[in-house]
Amino acid sequence: MKNKGRIARFRSSLLYRYLFIILIALLFVPIVFPVTLIAYGLFQGTVINPSSSTSVENPYVSKGNLEKTWHEEALKLAYASDIQIEAKIRELKKKYSKANLFWVDQQGKTRIQLPVQPSLPEIWSASYSIDYMKTRSASSVYAVVAFIGDKPSVGRGFMVFEIPYSVTEVRQQSNNSLNGIMIYILLFLLFFIGFIVVSWLFFVRIRKRLLRLEAAMTLSRGEGLPQPIKVKRLDEIGQLENAFNGMVLQLSSSLQREREEEGLRKRLIANLSHDLRTPLTVIRSHMYSMQKEPLSDQGRELLQLTESKISDLSGLIDNLLSYNLLTSGKYKLTPERMDVLRLVRESAAAWYPLWEKEQFEVDIQVQDEPLYWWIDAQWFRRILDNLFQNILRHAHDGKYIGVYTESLPNGSLAVVIIDHGAGMDASIAREKPELGEGSTTAHGAGIGLAIVEFLTREMEIALDIRSSAEGTRVYLYPAVY
Amino acid sequence: MIRLDIQILYIEDDVEIGKWVQLDLTERGYKVIWLKSGEQAVEHAAESRLVILDVMLPGLDGFTVGQRLKKAYPDIPILMLSARTSIDDKLEGLQFADDYVTKPFHPDELAARIEVLLRRSGSYTAEPLELKHLSVYEQEKRIMNRDTGEEIVLTGKQFQIFTYLLRHLGQILTKEQIYEGVWGEPYLDGDKTLMVHIRYLREKLERDPSAPEVIETIRGVGYRVRA
Repeated sequence: MKNKGRIARFRSSLLYRYLFIILIALLFVPIVFPVTLIAYGLFQGTVINPSSSTSVENPYVSKGNLEKTWHEEALKLAYASDIQIEAKIRELKKKYSKANLFWVDQQGKTRIQLPVQPSLPEIWSASYSIDYMKTRSASSVYAVVAFIGDKPSVGRGFMVFEIPYSVTEVRQQSNNSLNGIMIYILLFLLFFIGFIVVSWLFFVRIRKRLLRLEAAMTLSRGEGLPQPIKVKRLDEIGQLENAFNGMVLQLSSSLQREREEEGLRKRLIANLSHDLRTPLTVIRSHMYSMQKEPLSDQGRELLQLTESKISDLSGLIDNLLSYNLLTSGKYKLTPERMDVLRLVRESAAAWYPLWEKEQFEVDIQVQDEPLYWWIDAQWFRRILDNLFQNILRHAHDGKYIGVYTESLPNGSLAVVIIDHGAGMDASIAREKPELGEGSTTAHGAGIGLAIVEFLTREMEIALDIRSSAEGTRVYLYPAVY
Repeated sequence: MIRLDIQILYIEDDVEIGKWVQLDLTERGYKVIWLKSGEQAVEHAAESRLVILDVMLPGLDGFTVGQRLKKAYPDIPILMLSARTSIDDKLEGLQFADDYVTKPFHPDELAARIEVLLRRSGSYTAEPLELKHLSVYEQEKRIMNRDTGEEIVLTGKQFQIFTYLLRHLGQILTKEQIYEGVWGEPYLDGDKTLMVHIRYLREKLERDPSAPEVIETIRGVGYRVRA
């Protein structure tokens, strides 16, 4: 049972079919040649020269037959009268109309000749008879001489059958040899072409199925997954198709699991964000109400400070959650060719009121012509937001923000964001927790910048930060120019 | 400004925040209907000019409530006020909502955004908008110069540009945003049409077009009409 299944599997395999073709190829010479010859012989026998039908249509084809027939007819006339002999020869003339027939009796007299041949003598002498035999054997005429009764002893003379070779052999030979070669070549070609066609079909089918498999791997169902494929045969490619379908199924379930996990993670983060922000909102509401109460100058100042810390904390929560989602690959960047300066202007427009409120000197000088980079607009805005936010938090003292476009030595154009703060490194170092002066803002700056670094790296944008005590210049330009 | 005729539907489950916002908006002159869940939102929305909607609500979430409200009353602006700050949430919310404000928010910002939305939806029909020396009757498409007492006549496109800026009062808009908002087609690089229109607009609106007060130029960024 097990062996049967194995054999059935083997018979349906590509290997089996391939081996079969190879076997045919190996046996091509020893098998095909004889087969062709046999086929040729059969063909010739049945089509070109079928003895029965040919002899009816053409009684001169076989000399052997002619001779045999002539002798048989002569034998039958052993006891026939002269009239009967003449009648028979006339009858035979009707059958062999192209032949010359005549009868010479015992006395050597030419009794009947059909048609009349002037070269024949009326009375045959012994020397003429010998000459006749000699000339006929060397001439282009095929002659059959039979004694009446098929024996000289009967004593009734002999009868002669003459037919030119042109009617029998020459014509037959030329036709047969031409047809034979053509048919042999045709048969050989037929076998050869048949073999090529079978091999070609074998590989074309394999190729077609492989291409179908490749197409299924390339085409996606719209969720980045390849299409499952319909398995038609259970050979090696069929098994590959089965394995491929299994892989698609696994991928699909894996994607489903990933989506569920992503959904859970997003929900968790959304809930976390909600749970953190709601009490912050409540705190702000109470502080807002407190502002309406009579307060000392110091109390008012403290309230403002606390309020700014609430904003910082809110930004920090945002950054933390974004960083978490970004680095875990839960957000996909979809870069498009976009005018970055348009995004810079839009982002600056959103931040401008805040800069005004903080009494910053704002100097925005970006070129009017568009500057196209491959970026994800949403995340490029995030980069700008984080950089602008950092300036507000850490370079506040400089009271300056500048946004420029600047040509770099390599020929590319950079977006440069400038502040006149105490310098980014110093600012962060001063607030580093390990230095004993930790604060939330220090982490905020770190995470904000980490997000910037992560996003620029993902979008292949070079981030070059040059910071000194006079301020910081952040250069953004395409990493691959 | 007395706005008791303007009813705002506010849906918020957090009692402390709800009380605070209701009180603040009431002090600002609005009539506030506060619901702690979205179940009855559609019933109360009929009389309201604006809906403020939280996302995380007991029962139906804010997105579902918002979609239902928008379907029932497509003309009523919806402002999402949520502690959910992810891009996904904002994008989902802005599919039907007109604005999305995240918590913790400043009440002044909330009030400013409410005003912009109400103005945009045409809720301040009777009240003219006072801007420097101008009185703008947006619904009547009329602008009066209070200095001269004369009406300022604008071309169709000039009026569209000006009202677009008014609908984003106090907000800086880039030339691309204004062009695409008014013309409704993508801005083509190097197109000077908008700048030409703004120059003519200033000649008609400003006291001194060389030192504009109404339509402010924010160098390198865009334009702004301050409240």
